[in-house]
Amino acid sequence: MTGGRYLGVDLGSTTAKAVVVDGAGKILSSSVVTMGAVSRAGMQRAIDQALGEAGLTESDLQGTVSTGYGRRLVPGAGRTYTEITCHARGTAEMVPGVRLVIDVGGQDSKAITVGDDGLVRDFAMNDRCASGTGRFYEVLARAVDVPIEGLGDLALRGSDELEVSSMCATFAETEIVSMLAEDQDVADIASSVHRAIAARTLALVAQVGRYTPVVLTGGVARNPAAVHFLSRALDAEVTVPAHPQITGAFGAALLARDGDRGRPVATDVRGADEMFPRPRGHAHDGHDCSGCDGTLGPGTVDLGTVIPAWR
Amino acid sequence: MTTTAPTALSAPSTEPRTERLAITREGGRMIADYWEDLFVARESGRKIIWYNGGALNPMFQAAGLAWCHGEAFAARLAAQRLEGPAQLAGAEYGYNAELCSYSRTHLGCAVLTLKGSEEPDSGVVGLHDRADLASKLPAPDLFVNNYAGCSTGQQWDEVSYRVFGKNVPIFNVSHPFLWGNRPDAGYLVGSEWDEASRYVRDQLVELIDFLEVQTGRPFDYDALSESMTYIKRAGELRREGLDLCKATPAPATFWDWISCIAPINFLPGNQALVDYFQNVKDEIQQRIDAGVSGVRGEKYRLYFDGIMNWNKLGFLSRKFAEHGAAVLAGRYIQNAFWQEPHLIDTSDPLLGMAQHYLLCPTNHGSKTLEHLTLRDCESYGIDGIVFHSTRTCRAFTGPQRLLAKSARDNLGIPSIFFEGDVADASFYKEEILDSRLVAMLEAIDVARERGDHRRAGHGAEVAWPT
Repeated sequence: MTGGRYLGVDLGSTTAKAVVVDGAGKILSSSVVTMGAVSRAGMQRAIDQALGEAGLTESDLQGTVSTGYGRRLVPGAGRTYTEITCHARGTAEMVPGVRLVIDVGGQDSKAITVGDDGLVRDFAMNDRCASGTGRFYEVLARAVDVPIEGLGDLALRGSDELEVSSMCATFAETEIVSMLAEDQDVADIASSVHRAIAARTLALVAQVGRYTPVVLTGGVARNPAAVHFLSRALDAEVTVPAHPQITGAFGAALLARDGDRGRPVATDVRGADEMFPRPRGHAHDGHDCSGCDGTLGPGTVDLGTVIPAWR
Repeated sequence: MTTTAPTALSAPSTEPRTERLAITREGGRMIADYWEDLFVARESGRKIIWYNGGALNPMFQAAGLAWCHGEAFAARLAAQRLEGPAQLAGAEYGYNAELCSYSRTHLGCAVLTLKGSEEPDSGVVGLHDRADLASKLPAPDLFVNNYAGCSTGQQWDEVSYRVFGKNVPIFNVSHPFLWGNRPDAGYLVGSEWDEASRYVRDQLVELIDFLEVQTGRPFDYDALSESMTYIKRAGELRREGLDLCKATPAPATFWDWISCIAPINFLPGNQALVDYFQNVKDEIQQRIDAGVSGVRGEKYRLYFDGIMNWNKLGFLSRKFAEHGAAVLAGRYIQNAFWQEPHLIDTSDPLLGMAQHYLLCPTNHGSKTLEHLTLRDCESYGIDGIVFHSTRTCRAFTGPQRLLAKSARDNLGIPSIFFEGDVADASFYKEEILDSRLVAMLEAIDVARERGDHRRAGHGAEVAWPT
């Protein structure tokens, strides 16, 4: 273990995440705390858990960087960065060679293109509403009355041929209720909504270019149907890190480490390998996905292929 | 993996970092005096004309009329956060919240003006204070519409005409859209430009006939030439002042120039107007001489594309400055408001006036917009573009994605988008702008540290797009 301890905190709209790394960038501990909304208490719990797991106190830290909507609320943070920079940095560390990071958080979604050095080239974010974000999936889960954790499996069992017009989280709920009133199958509804959200995400990707390899991060990456439909929409494999929710906090911790050293350093990725044994991937090669059981197996990565969507 | 930690922006500076031009306060006083004079124009025996679009005020000045530019009044209400009563009145009358908030606000003012005299206690309109600024506009005696490039704008005065019961004379000037597609097309050149210029100029001759009939007086061509002589000089001084802001660091910012829109857009053409812009230019030159910059610690130079968010003028100027970001240029400043004064022949000003009405920044095809945007990004040494995706102004926002892509492909500079509106604060979301702005500045830092950030402005010739 290399000297120095660095904390990254990602205070998002619905969850607080904290990661502690050592001087080599190896992850020593991490935590994810679900909040109702941005909350100092939730943030502190995430920090305490991560520090406790690493056997540290705040006085042991050489640097702290915060990110996320609540980044300026984090006590002791020497610096803040936006989620854009941190997700790119953390994801590039977990999945070396990534060129496009799609992060779907609680209330926004982002498409970030990444350079060889793991830093941001370009980005686009949803610009006005919760369409295609974690909040949208929560609305769907509530409307079809399934736990959020079971939503993806439900969607993968259905047919995706229903028309879903609204991408407004509020009005989509009305549309879903109308479909239920028409006695449509809940699995078909869930599947169709996932397809529509993936199409919306594709529009976001079009603003920065469809580069590969693609990595999906954020809480929504834990939803296998979201990965499946995004892969189909992009016509490309979509890789999911084993712990996609902490990429922002991990990136923040790495930036704390980078900043403390003052100069770029080579990261010991063994820590990440231990923490994230093998990225999961889901490839779409144009075949009919209707029979897919949603099992996500490791796939191949196509390093360096660049396919600007607008050309 | 080897990386460079980008320069952290950390929390924005809490120290004031803006140095707004002091002279703009004088402009504010001139504008306030203008409106106060308009409110009592009828009492002084003048007829009142309501109009929208290009700056026809020199013609009205020559015709002895008092003039009310609807957009300008809506902007003033929004800048003072006094637009609420007008928008409620407009909503009650039936105007949808997705309608251009300039027109929605001004049409609400029309409703307030009308109802104030006819139905003082009715509905939501009856709830507001009659002393509200929004209800102070005197009723029109004439309407003229002079809008280019915006379908809502072109119908705006026609709708006001209907609000007032079709009892007020109206004249519409029609403007062809400048597609820029003919083989000989270019900025200010080509057969399309020449034909469109003559077409609008001929309508201005007819407008003069209309004004003569309505006022019962012969039109005073000498007065028009005199007024346009002052406006041409003010326009020249404005351009010279804008050019001075290409200096690094910039002595004044886009926000200062936003504050200078009202004087150039609708104040009377006279010596006071020329003096004002001479003073603006002089203050900028003094700043250059003294080494004073519009944003202390200028670190980034940005371009702002979009019509102004008047509710947020001061707020936005501070927000960008907090990050060391000097917003220096924008389509709304560089490419509008008597921006090509050399076109004006003061002895026969109608053609040059017509051409400026055609040069409304919503009236160009994408080739011209691309040319102008890249040209200005180059000449001001721009690091990135902020697109104000103006919710109810689709005429302005329509080509923005094309412009962002062109800037990225041709100049290598990044862009962000945020949503807001001209006169409806409800469409603005703080976190949307904040997170995107900081992320873009971080990305610029990363590119700089890695040695591949290319600030625009290194002498590249911006050619006409092919």
